[in-house]
Amino acid sequence: MSSLFEILTSDYGIHLAILIGIYLILSQSLNLTFGLGQLFNLAHIASYAIGAYATALLSTETEASFAVCIVASVALSGLFAITLGGIALRLANDYFSIGTLAFSAVVSALLINWKSVTHGVLGIAGIPRPVLGVTDFYQNGWFLILLLVFVVIVQAIFYVLMRGRFGRTLRALAEYEQAAATLGKNTSMIRNFAFLFSSAAAGLAGSFFAYYLNYIDPSSFSLQEMIFVLTIVIVGRPGSFFGVIGATIFLVLLPEPLRFIDLPSAYLGPLRQLLHAALLFGVVWWKRDTLFPTQRKV
Amino acid sequence: MLTLSDLVVSFGGNKVLNGISCTINEGETVGIIGPNGCGKTTLFNCISGLVANTSGTIALRGVEIQALEPHERARRGLGRVFQNFGIFREMTLLENVLLALESNTSVISGFLPWSKKTKGLSNEALSYLEQVGLAAKANEKAASLSGGQMRLLEIIRTLALGSDMFLLDEPTAGVSPRMKEDVASLIKKLQGLKKTVLIIEHDITFIQKFCSRVIVLNEGVIVLDDTPEKVRADSRLKEIYFGSDAA
Repeated sequence: MSSLFEILTSDYGIHLAILIGIYLILSQSLNLTFGLGQLFNLAHIASYAIGAYATALLSTETEASFAVCIVASVALSGLFAITLGGIALRLANDYFSIGTLAFSAVVSALLINWKSVTHGVLGIAGIPRPVLGVTDFYQNGWFLILLLVFVVIVQAIFYVLMRGRFGRTLRALAEYEQAAATLGKNTSMIRNFAFLFSSAAAGLAGSFFAYYLNYIDPSSFSLQEMIFVLTIVIVGRPGSFFGVIGATIFLVLLPEPLRFIDLPSAYLGPLRQLLHAALLFGVVWWKRDTLFPTQRKV
Repeated sequence: MLTLSDLVVSFGGNKVLNGISCTINEGETVGIIGPNGCGKTTLFNCISGLVANTSGTIALRGVEIQALEPHERARRGLGRVFQNFGIFREMTLLENVLLALESNTSVISGFLPWSKKTKGLSNEALSYLEQVGLAAKANEKAASLSGGQMRLLEIIRTLALGSDMFLLDEPTAGVSPRMKEDVASLIKKLQGLKKTVLIIEHDITFIQKFCSRVIVLNEGVIVLDDTPEKVRADSRLKEIYFGSDAA
């Protein structure tokens, strides 16, 4: 018991808890659109990147405060969602996913090639930790407490969204859009709002990611990262609030025992990806009949 | 109440509805019959906004609605019941009715799942389910219902929406003979509430129970518009269904 407490309060335990916190925001926000709304949004990681870069640039270039960075990250990711939703939500089914993937690719290309702003593949270093009044969050323990406050707030907001009338309407749209429309539901507005909430929360996660690592580069926001978040939602059961929380903790911790196996680091990375891929494939195969139901039409 | 003027719907040059003009009066129950593919469901889709009309106008209480989105038409009182069951099978019966009730409240109202407003709406939804004998199954998934029960749920949900015009697309399709009587009772209840009802149905005997007027569609045009007795006696009806030799 005492050894478990020691692990949890060690630098390593706190590091894992911070990762879990960031991924909890990122995966629960994807759960709203992809899990509940059946919107196969592959640009979620782009919202995460926009949030991270907004914080990185503002805090390093203008020394903006924590509040300004957080608000800017959330607002810019939200703006991205409005633009993306305005275009991609006009597309149906697979075309929608391809559209969001294209948006994600554009953001990725901008991060690499808009060197005067993003510093390209070199990334942005020296991102300072947040400071609130006389309290700074350079110690990971304090940073974890700050993050947990936001995690709890975001999870509470998403719980209300998913369990209340908003989530109910989103589920109705996912199952039978035309029937929902004839029940007085403004289908495009509901989906745009779902996109907005989801993307804004991903921006917040990105902001904390940038603050935590003090350094970001485009490789942190690759398609591989998108697949990892998607795996969390699928393993947790799309649309399940507590399932996704459990899956986030499970999947962040899953590859950790590999660290203690005596293997060269060149093998460890691919092995971790292999583990996630096998798990994703297994769950999709096992739940293939219920994971992606076909939308009913007149 | 509802006036269709020279309504045309084309799919890639093929005119599915070709100049439909008629008026449905308030409180009237009208049956729509015709062979498969004659445009009955397309007519309902067009009225409810799921299919755009190529030309012509649709006026509800004197106001043209053809440019409105389906949800805007629903909020003006147009209720739709689908042939292939428009219920949400993965949701509970209570949630199905709640969705309709929530459309009549502000977005903020009942936003919190545990608010008094939400509890009030849940009680109201239960009272609607009681009317069709489904209150005991309120927390079960709608997928567990029989065809007849699904139909009752869909109609009562449309009533909960506050619709005053009901577009019922084959309400007895997939319904057992015993449950057909329950569906018929519910339609009679709608008539008692002075609702305007349009029913697409193949079973003219079923339609005769409620309708004082029957419209016969064939190849996208109105062929007959008269009382059920006169329509039944008209030789053109047999011609439409069985060909010119039968007449």
